[in-house]
Amino acid sequence: MSEKCSILFIQKKCIQCHGCEVACKSWRNVEIGVNWRRVNISWHGGYPDIKMVPVMVACLHCAKPACVAACPTGAIEKRAADGVVLVNQEKCIGCKVCLEACPYSVPQFGADGKMQKCDRCFQETDGRCSVPPCVATCPTKALQLVSQDKNVYLSFTYCDQSLEK
Amino acid sequence: MGRWEEKMNFNNRDTHSRVSGLTLDEALNLAKTNGEQVVPTLCAMCGPTSLSCGVYAFVKNDRFIKVAGMQESSNNKGAVCPKGNAAPQWVYSPDRLKYPMKRVGKKGEGKFKRISWDEAVGIIADTLKRQKEKYGPESLAILAPAMRSYNAYLKRFLTVHGSPNYGHSGICALQRAFSFMYTLADWPIAEIDKSDLVIYWGRQPVFSGPALDGPKALLRLKERGGKIIAIKPSVEPDVCKADIWVPIRPGTDAALALAMLYVVINEELIDKEFVENWCFGYEQLKKHIQKYPPQWAEKITGVSAKQICEVARLYSSTQRASIDLGNGVEHAPSANDAIRAVAILIAITGHLDRPGGNVFRSTDSIMPMPRDITLRERYTPEMRDKLVGPEFPKEFQPFIEGFSSAYYRIFDSILTEDPYPVRTVIAPGTQPVVSTRGSRRIIEALQKLDFYVVIDVTRTADMDYADIVIPTTTPYESDHPFEATGGRVMVRNKVIEPLGDYKSIYQFFLDLGVKMGYGKDFWNGSIEKAMDDQLQPFGMNFADLKNNPTGIIYDSLTRAYENYEKMFQRKSPRLSGAPFLPHGKIEIYNTSFEEAGFNPLPEWREPPESLTGTPDLSEKYPLILSDYHTSKNYTASWERNVPYLREIEPYPVIHIHPDTAAEREIKENDWVIVESLHGWMKVKAKLYPGIRPDTVMILHGWWQGCKEMGLEDFPLLDGGANVNMMYSVDPKKAFDPIITAMTSQTLVEVRKFS
Repeated sequence: MSEKCSILFIQKKCIQCHGCEVACKSWRNVEIGVNWRRVNISWHGGYPDIKMVPVMVACLHCAKPACVAACPTGAIEKRAADGVVLVNQEKCIGCKVCLEACPYSVPQFGADGKMQKCDRCFQETDGRCSVPPCVATCPTKALQLVSQDKNVYLSFTYCDQSLEK
Repeated sequence: MGRWEEKMNFNNRDTHSRVSGLTLDEALNLAKTNGEQVVPTLCAMCGPTSLSCGVYAFVKNDRFIKVAGMQESSNNKGAVCPKGNAAPQWVYSPDRLKYPMKRVGKKGEGKFKRISWDEAVGIIADTLKRQKEKYGPESLAILAPAMRSYNAYLKRFLTVHGSPNYGHSGICALQRAFSFMYTLADWPIAEIDKSDLVIYWGRQPVFSGPALDGPKALLRLKERGGKIIAIKPSVEPDVCKADIWVPIRPGTDAALALAMLYVVINEELIDKEFVENWCFGYEQLKKHIQKYPPQWAEKITGVSAKQICEVARLYSSTQRASIDLGNGVEHAPSANDAIRAVAILIAITGHLDRPGGNVFRSTDSIMPMPRDITLRERYTPEMRDKLVGPEFPKEFQPFIEGFSSAYYRIFDSILTEDPYPVRTVIAPGTQPVVSTRGSRRIIEALQKLDFYVVIDVTRTADMDYADIVIPTTTPYESDHPFEATGGRVMVRNKVIEPLGDYKSIYQFFLDLGVKMGYGKDFWNGSIEKAMDDQLQPFGMNFADLKNNPTGIIYDSLTRAYENYEKMFQRKSPRLSGAPFLPHGKIEIYNTSFEEAGFNPLPEWREPPESLTGTPDLSEKYPLILSDYHTSKNYTASWERNVPYLREIEPYPVIHIHPDTAAEREIKENDWVIVESLHGWMKVKAKLYPGIRPDTVMILHGWWQGCKEMGLEDFPLLDGGANVNMMYSVDPKKAFDPIITAMTSQTLVEVRKFS
C-alpha cells in the first residue's frame, strides 16, 4: 500500500520558536550554514497597524518541480511512489541552476557544493510514512503530516486559509 | 541517519489530534532500529528547573546525539524547542570546562592552572573558614542564577554558614510576587483557558518556554475567538496573534496602569460590592488617582489616551478577562507601583479569583511537595539585620524565597564598603558582568573582591576574575536530582558519563559542606541521602523513583473560586509571621508600605533617563533603549556558543524602525554604534517595522563567541554588545525604592559605524 504524505505548514499555529529548524538539523546532522527548513518572517502593514507573519521555507516536493525541469544533469527526480523530490548526490554538479529555478529559494549548498534539501525523512519507497522530527517536535502542531489527497501543493504561506476551519 | 520506526507510521489521517513527540515504546523501538540507546530524562537548556521538559535522549557509541520530546511528559507533551533540540552541541562545546582551575595570573588576565576537585574544594573551604572567623559569616554571598533546581542547595549552604546574603537578581519574578502579595495576598495567575480576553502585559508567552503550555494556551484562546491584547514596545510572535497591540514606551507601565485605574474609577466600571466587602482604602485611591488621567499618561507612555480608554473599558466590561503580567514590568524604578496598580485594577473590576480572571495560585494536583531543604527554620533576626543589600526592605524579609540581598548591591558593597564589604562571592551558573546592570562597576568590584568562585559548565564572561573555577556536569551527565512540579515527579537520568574531572553542582555543595565541617547538615556528602530526604513526603526513596523512567503523574485537582476569606488572612513569610494584609482586605491603601516609610498609594516615577523625565538629555540622545529579556534561541546570557542556535541569530542586532534608521542613513545589517550616557555598543542594525519609532531594543546577554562558526567573543564593556553597561545604576534613581527592580531603560543615539 502506498500512501503519499506531505508536511503541511499551518501558519496561524506557528509561534516562530524555530524548534522544527533545529530538530531537522540535529536529527539529520545538517552542517552549519545549511538549512533544510527555515522559519522566516514577513511584515504586513505599517506601524502601528502591523503584523509579523511567519513564513516556512522548506522543500514543498512540488507536483511539477521547477528544479527537476531545470537540472542539467537530471540529478533531481520526483519519485513516483511517494512524491518525494530527491537529489542524486552523484549526479549533482553544484551548478545552482535549481536555486534559480525554485520559486522559494529552497536549494541549499554546503561544503561539498552539492544541492541538499528536505527529503521529508523518507528513506523507503514502500509507502511507509513516518513522522519527521520537524513535525514531531512542533509544540503547537503548526507542522503536520497529512495525506496528499487532502492537500499538498498550495503555497505554504497561506495554506492555512484553505485548510483550517 | 536511519528512518523513523514503523510504529510511528502515519496511519491515522486525523493528524490534528496527534500529539507531539514519542512515547517510551516508540523511542525504544526507534533507538533499536538505529543501533542507539535511549535515556528518558529532562531537558536542561533553560538551566535545570523543576519545569524542565521531558525528553528522550539518544546515545550512539556513548555519544549523546539527539533528543525527541517525551509524549508522556505533562508539561511539554512531547514538544521540544530549538534549545532542547540543540542540547548535544552544548554538551560537547569546546567552551566546556573540563577540570577545576586555580587562577595563577592577575585578575582578569585569564591564566589558570589545573587542580584537583578535592584541592579546589579545600581552597574554598579554607578561605571561607578564615573569613568567617575574621569578618563574620555574612562576608559570604552566593549569587542566585535564574530559577534553578539547585537553588535550595545554595540557600542551605548560606544558612548553615550563617549568611543571609543570597543574591537574587532584583529584576525577575520575585518583584511581581512581592507587589502582588502585599496587595492581594497572592500572585494570581491568568486563567487563560476560561478567559474571553487576555492582556499579555510586558509578557513573552512564546519564548518563555515555547514547548510548555504558554503558547498553546495563547492559540487555544485565539481559536475559540477570545480577544488578545499585547502591551509591549515591539512586535513579537504573541503580538501577531493579538487583536490589539499597545506599543508602550519601555519603563512606563506604571503610568499606563494608573491611567487605566483613572478610567475605571471615574467611569465607575468597578465591582462595587467587591470593593465594599474586600478592599481597604478605595476612597483614598479615588482621590489620589485624579492626578493620572489618560491624557497625562499619553505623554509619558506614548500610548494614545483613546487607546488607554479603549483597553481599560474593554477589560473592565469583559466579565471573563485576565491580565498576564510579565517580566517586562519588573525593570523600572516605578515597578512596584506598576504591579500593584495592576493588582488593584484586577481586584476592583471584579476579576480576582473568578472564572477566567486572575485566580489564586492553588495546589493543582494531589502530588505532595518535596521537603524544603533551605533550613529556613534556622533564620534569626540577627541574620536579617546582616543583609548587605536587601532586595526588599528588612521589614519585609524574608520573602517567599527566603532572605535575599539584591545581586547588584552585593557587588556595590564591595566598592562602597557600605554597610560592609562582602569578601567572597560564589557565582554558580550566573555571570555578573552580563547578568546584572552596571557592568562597569561589577568589573571594578571583581577586581577588588577578595575571593571569587565561578561554578559553571562552560566558560563564563567574568571567569577570568575567578580565584577558583569549578566545572560541573551538565544535567545530561549526572543521575540526579529529581524534579517535582505541576503534578509530575521525575528523576533526571544520566545520558552519558561525565566528559571531564568534575561532579554535579549538587555534589559540589555537599562536598564543600563536608569540608567546612557542616557534614551533618549535608547528608555527610551523600546525594542519595539528600534525595531520599527530599522525597520523604512522597512515601518513596530515590531508588524507587528511578524505577519510573518517565516519572509519576499525579491526578489534578479542580479549583474553587472566590476564596477571599481564607486567602486574605494568609500569613507572610516575615519572621513575625504577620499576615500580608493587615486588614484582611486588599491593600489598595497600603499601610504596611506606609509604616515602612513608603507611599501607601501607587504613583508615577520617571526612569533615570527618559524622553519626558529628562528632556534636555533627549536632544543628544533622542531614542529610548531597552532590552529583550527572553529569546527564542538562547537562555539568558548562555548558549551563544551553540552553533545550531547561533545560526538563527548570529549577531547582536538592534531593532530599529525603518524610518528611524533612514533618518540616520542606516541600512539593514549595517554595523552601528549605540551610545548612552553610560557606554556604547557596536551591533548590527535590524530594520524592524514592528517597533516604536522612538525606541530601539536589543537582546541582553551578548558576550560569548562561537568557535565552530569562527565568531569571537565581544568586549564586555564599550564596543561590545552587553546592554547592561548602557543603563544608569544611580542608587537614587535607577532602583525601585521597595523591590529593587533596576531600570533597563535609557536614552541613546544610534549612528552608523565607520
